[in-house]
This record gives sequence, structure tokens and C-alpha cells, in this order.
Amino acid sequence: MGFCDNLLIVAAQPILLYPDPALKAKTARVDPANPEVAAIVQDMLDTLKASPGVALAAPQIGRLVQIIVVDVSRKKGEQGHGLVVLLNPHILQQDGPRIIREGCLSLPDYTGNVLRYERTLVQGLSPDGLPVTLATSGFEALAFQHELDHLDGRLFLDRIESLSTDLFRRKS
Amino acid sequence: MNRYAMLTAFGQDRPGIVAALAEGLFELGCNIEDTCMTRLRGEFTMMVMVRLPDGLSADQLASRLTPHTSPLGLTVLCREVPARAAERGSEPDAPVFMLSVYGADHPGIVAKIARVVADHGGNITDMNTRVIGAEDRPVYTMILEVQMRAESQPAALGHALDGLKPSLGVDLTFRPLEQVRL
Repeated sequence: MGFCDNLLIVAAQPILLYPDPALKAKTARVDPANPEVAAIVQDMLDTLKASPGVALAAPQIGRLVQIIVVDVSRKKGEQGHGLVVLLNPHILQQDGPRIIREGCLSLPDYTGNVLRYERTLVQGLSPDGLPVTLATSGFEALAFQHELDHLDGRLFLDRIESLSTDLFRRKS
Repeated sequence: MNRYAMLTAFGQDRPGIVAALAEGLFELGCNIEDTCMTRLRGEFTMMVMVRLPDGLSADQLASRLTPHTSPLGLTVLCREVPARAAERGSEPDAPVFMLSVYGADHPGIVAKIARVVADHGGNITDMNTRVIGAEDRPVYTMILEVQMRAESQPAALGHALDGLKPSLGVDLTFRPLEQVRL
């Protein structure tokens, strides 16, 4: 795994902006027993705390590993599961398609209409290596879908759906 | 200070129109900023905001593009736009709503709907209309994106739009488009 070397420095990191190549890179699975994982998680938590957002994926601070942190309770009126740290997360199932207008900390000042799902069942490992399955819905489900995309090097720009062309596509 | 022009082009659709326009603009030193292009039935239509190079006016641009566009039978219009309208700015943070309207085709649907939206302080920021359905039973469809100013009332607009349904003979939904920043 290509960890960076300043592991002892625990602090909020700058959130990388596209076109930083880290945002389009592949990410590696992590071993919860690896002590470097805890350091990355701490960096991500510090960075999240200092950011205006509710969630972060490791590539957004330049770590090409499969770690996300989500805390939708940072947004007024949202509760969800509170702070969640997930290693090697993946989506088990999702349903309730909906178009929402989404923006991203790594692509500031721009939003696009994307297809997301109202409910998402997410599985991964807690920082201490225990399996976790979370049933999420609403805003929290959107946050998990968005962060999981980051682990695949996918930005919302890769998912833009055009209401006009998609809805009205004619049979040729 | 940057100078900008809005260029509109339309003509019978065929392969190569975008390439010809883009090459012509590139050769003249114009920078393509934002573009919107679609086909309305068989007609190619495009709007391009370009940044003009020093020494080229919008009028000159239109005439100097002619060698590129006339072989394609394109109609091209060009006007300078004020820099303050053309410079990039972040989207205003106004709530966005989607309005879908559909019903048996007859004149006046767009006019009546758009007037109600305007009278309630709504700003139409995107609009597509199509006539779909069977030849002998055409259905008019329209999708509008509407930004509401903070002080205006989406609920009142929704109510007014519902009130139009019987007289216009249309179905419609007016719903907020949820915006999330992650």
C-alpha cells in the first residue's frame, strides 16, 4: 500500500481538488491491524472536523486506500448513524432511485444532477476490524454513495444524468 | 479586460458541424467558454459563449466564420455580451424546483405556465419542451427548472400552478430538487 510517510503528524489535511490525480486513482483495501490505518483515520477525522462537509473519503486527502468517514449529524436536522468510520466498504444493495443535485468538496462551486438511491445497505469493517452492516436512508444514504464513489475514483461528474436528454430520448 | 461574444448557430443537422465551428473559432483565436447544443427535431442548434481575442469584434467574428459555416448551410449570429454577464461566478444559492407539465397539445400552455411562474418570482433557468405521443394524439411535455428567490413562496406558486390544471387540461408536478454538498 502506498502510504505517505508523515504518519506521526496528525492534523487536518488540505482537501484535494480535482484535477488532482489522487481523485481518479484506484484505491487499495486496508488491513485493520496495520497501525498506519489508525493514523490515516485520525487524519481524516481531523480533516472532516475542519471542513464544511459531512463525509470524506481517503483519496480526498491523498491516501489511496479504502477508508471513508461519514457523520451526517454535522448537518443541521440530520441524525443518521452519527460518526461512522468504515474500512473496505461496499454497497450490498440499494433501492429507490431519485435524481438529486449533488456537489463535492473536491469540485467546489459546481453541482450536477445525478441518479442516486433513497436507501443503501453498506457493509465494511470498523476500525477495530469488526464487520459492520448499516442500513442507511435519505441524506445519509446519499453521503455513503458519494464517498464510495470516491474509492472507485468516480466523481459526480461521472454520473451526471441529463433530465432532458434521458427523459425524452426518442426511439430511433 | 476580457471581451465575450454569444454565438448562435443553427441549420439542418449533419455530421461535422461542431467540428467545423470549433475549428473556425480556434483558428480565429477565440476561446470556447460555455456551450449548449442540441437538436430540435432535424435542426442543429447551438449557443456558444466565446472569449474574443484582442482586435476581433463580435461582428468580425461572424463574418470571418463564414468560410467554415456556409458550406454547412449554417445560420450564424454573433453579439458581444457584457463581461459582467460572462465572467464565471458560483451559482446563486437559491432553492431549485423542477416543474413537469404535460397534456394534450394545444396553443398557450407555455405562455400560461411561464406567466404564473414569473408572477410568483420564479426564475426559469432551464427549459425543454417536446411534442411526443402518437401522431393523431400529440402530447405536449415541458420540463422547467425554476429558481425561487428567497422571499418568494414556492408553496404559493405550487398552488397557483395546480389551479391552472383544469383550464389548461394538463397534468403537472412542481417539486423541490434536493441539493446536497458532500
